[in-house]
Amino acid sequence: MFLVIIALLPLTLVSCVPGGAQVARGWSGTAVHDGIIYVCTVDGRVVAINSSTENLEWSYSTTPVTTPSSGLSCGQASVTTAIYSIPVVDRDIVYIGTYSGQVLALNMLARSQDLTFPQRSYGEWEWDCPIDNAKSNAIVADLLVSADTIYVSSSNGRVYSLDKEFGDLNWESKVLDEKHRKLWTSPAIQGDVLYASTYDGHIYALSAATGELLDWSFASEAGFASSPVIYDDVIFLGSFDRYLYAVKIGSNISVWKFPPEKPAGNWFWASPIVNEGIVYAGCLDGKLYAIDAETGEELWQFESKDQRGKPAPIVSSPVLVGNLLIIANEAGNVYVINPETGDGERIENRENGDKPTIDAQIIASLCAHEGLVYIRGEDNRLYAVDINERKVSWDFPLAIEE
Amino acid sequence: MSFVEVWNFIIGNPVLNVLVALSQLLSGNFGLAIIALTIIVRLISWPLTKRQLNSTRALQDMQPKIQELQKKYGKNQQKLQQEMMKLYKEAGVNPLGCLWPMLVQFPIWIALYQAIMRALATTPDNLLDLANRLYSWDIVNQAIPLNSKFLWLDLSQPDPYWILAIIVGGTMWVQQKMTQAPAVDPAQQSTSRMMLLMMPLMFGFLTLLFPSGLALYWAVSNIIGIITQYFFTGGWGYLKFRSPFQSTPAKGK
Repeated sequence: MFLVIIALLPLTLVSCVPGGAQVARGWSGTAVHDGIIYVCTVDGRVVAINSSTENLEWSYSTTPVTTPSSGLSCGQASVTTAIYSIPVVDRDIVYIGTYSGQVLALNMLARSQDLTFPQRSYGEWEWDCPIDNAKSNAIVADLLVSADTIYVSSSNGRVYSLDKEFGDLNWESKVLDEKHRKLWTSPAIQGDVLYASTYDGHIYALSAATGELLDWSFASEAGFASSPVIYDDVIFLGSFDRYLYAVKIGSNISVWKFPPEKPAGNWFWASPIVNEGIVYAGCLDGKLYAIDAETGEELWQFESKDQRGKPAPIVSSPVLVGNLLIIANEAGNVYVINPETGDGERIENRENGDKPTIDAQIIASLCAHEGLVYIRGEDNRLYAVDINERKVSWDFPLAIEE
Repeated sequence: MSFVEVWNFIIGNPVLNVLVALSQLLSGNFGLAIIALTIIVRLISWPLTKRQLNSTRALQDMQPKIQELQKKYGKNQQKLQQEMMKLYKEAGVNPLGCLWPMLVQFPIWIALYQAIMRALATTPDNLLDLANRLYSWDIVNQAIPLNSKFLWLDLSQPDPYWILAIIVGGTMWVQQKMTQAPAVDPAQQSTSRMMLLMMPLMFGFLTLLFPSGLALYWAVSNIIGIITQYFFTGGWGYLKFRSPFQSTPAKGK
């Protein structure tokens, strides 16, 4: 019996120790449209907040999912649906991809009038695109919405094209990454061609009309961590080998990779942004790099830190507000950076200057609108940061009040 | 530093990085990396295993004397225990010596479980978390993300076909049977028999709950244990041994 007890003890510990759990919390960013901020919460809701009145307009709860037991925890559990993709607003509809494999289209006008759903009979409508095996079809990447189509990357390794109005399936691509299956990066579109990057180190070109693979593809030794960004026929994207790649469409050799010699301190996880010939790439080593888009030459670098003075990972992409660059790091610090010189200024915490800008980790994407940057903190609160005033203007609790 | 930080620094992250590096060395095959790590762990714990095997062999050699004591003091349990302890002491044998290799492996199990789940990064959160745990070695970063497929298994999930559960349970039973001295009194015999079944059944059951990567470690570790035991003690040990209290089958037909 002694043996049984000592055998059970570590196995119980194994189930309890941190690191063993398969956590899917979601880190959806924010979107702003017509003065309304759309944000997905940690508990699987889509929330609309009026940016002027700072009041809740409406809240929609996604359907909880059932998860199988893990380790010594017995039985199934019903958990909220994680949401990683940023809400996309197009006309009166908010589109969201969920970790349970659904694409939701929510009519925001009808929601603000507190009507029940679905509302097809009233001319108001919403739809979802459920897929049988939710777990393997999880949607992690942001949705790509074009004039009449939504493109969705799925964890089953395929890209889907859906009719934007009714949600009908136009086409599904072949499995792009047989090895990992996970397509956790969203495609980029140029003209009638989609470009999708994969964890097995490929960039594929697909016909936006049919989903068929086109002749050109690019292969790298390491997998691509970030979604591709296209600028002047060049695709910029980060890799797990700690380089940022610039790949000319149609070429089999990268134009450049950055840094030119030794790799960076960690992965380029977030997609870079490109403005006026300069690539701004946040890295998990805590630095923001400004790189000449044409030559790959480093123009400057800015290191973001935590409160102990150590570099803190930059998980989300930078945003431009006027002629200023805004970045946030995982430690909760928000910086305003001069894009020409790379000089940065940390925005201080409202209550205690020694604390990070916001009292929570920042993983979700930032959204800028009219001089304010909206950030969902990992404490399930929405923060509005005034860039001109260099301060946190207001915050809003996203958790359901009992 | 908190306990978790110390744990990750000393055991958790080194095991994770070695596992990922092994995977890259073995053509991106994470299953082979687990097998290689198992062999490394068994090599590191060899001094303890050797001590355990010495104890087992000494216990085997002492069986005739133990049986004699059993016959002599069978009705006086207290005296029997005293005499047996005396015998163990004289022979320099610790009857609990076989537990040390198992105890040493506990932190490895925990670290391996964490390493498998972290390395395979089945959720986006786990993948992002992995970035903070990997060393800056090129070999490690080029291996990410890992392929969780190995033979019929998804190493981040339990084996749906129960094959691994049977292998883990079966090999554990064989290994235990080889090392477990038969009980010398009928009362202990049923306990001993139950123990012999209980552990393999329990681990077989746990294999159905835990990621198959961890179960693969158990299975390979058991097989290595059986092979080592066989060659070190020169045979199948107690697997062929019969308790004197077991009925002797009739010879000749």
